[in-house]
Amino acid sequence: MQFLNDYSNRELNIWAELVLDIIVSLYFISRVYPLLINDQFNSEALLPIIFTNIIISIIYSIIVFGAIDIFTKKEKKDERDYFYELKSYRISYYLSQGGILCIIFLIAYNAVYQENIGLLTLPKIAMIFFIIAVISSTGKSLTQLFNYRKSI
Amino acid sequence: MKEQRIKNQIRRLRFEANEMTQAELAEKASVTRQTIIALEAQKYSPSLELAFRIAKVFDVPLEKAFQYN
Repeated sequence: MQFLNDYSNRELNIWAELVLDIIVSLYFISRVYPLLINDQFNSEALLPIIFTNIIISIIYSIIVFGAIDIFTKKEKKDERDYFYELKSYRISYYLSQGGILCIIFLIAYNAVYQENIGLLTLPKIAMIFFIIAVISSTGKSLTQLFNYRKSI
Repeated sequence: MKEQRIKNQIRRLRFEANEMTQAELAEKASVTRQTIIALEAQKYSPSLELAFRIAKVFDVPLEKAFQYN
């Protein structure tokens, strides 16, 4: 309970978001990696994994975000919250842009040296996009938490 | 860490205003208590509008509540 007193409702929500990102990405990667190794990576195999991920996210959100709202006082966003949010969106933007550049580089590299690393199929590109989204979201949450803690 | 150039007298003004709590000031200035904590720790520079709102809560001119170094 002391943990709840030390952090504001907003910070706890960001922590919860961060943990959700980690859970979802760990589950996704742990399920997708074997498919990738066994060369069974296709849309049919990916669909149940994505579906399970969505179910996990919904259950987690109901329990954790619900508990945070029950045990802590909800506060209206003020200018400082918006300011830190903007800062974190900037980091998130840079991370996603970096990721997209990496994909472009991979596609271009594949087009030139196909025999070396193989073709980038659509599911593989989708997985890379998923990882970029997770990294970008994690970066956003960490930036917000860093700024909140730094100013206390 | 980058030093804030806008200093404030919020803690002193709160003390002088019958020891107004951070929560009370936050409510009157329409911000969160965490923002008041950050302001008092001189770790956050408020917007001009918030600075005016805080000065108005204490009924003092802006320059009595905030100084630019």
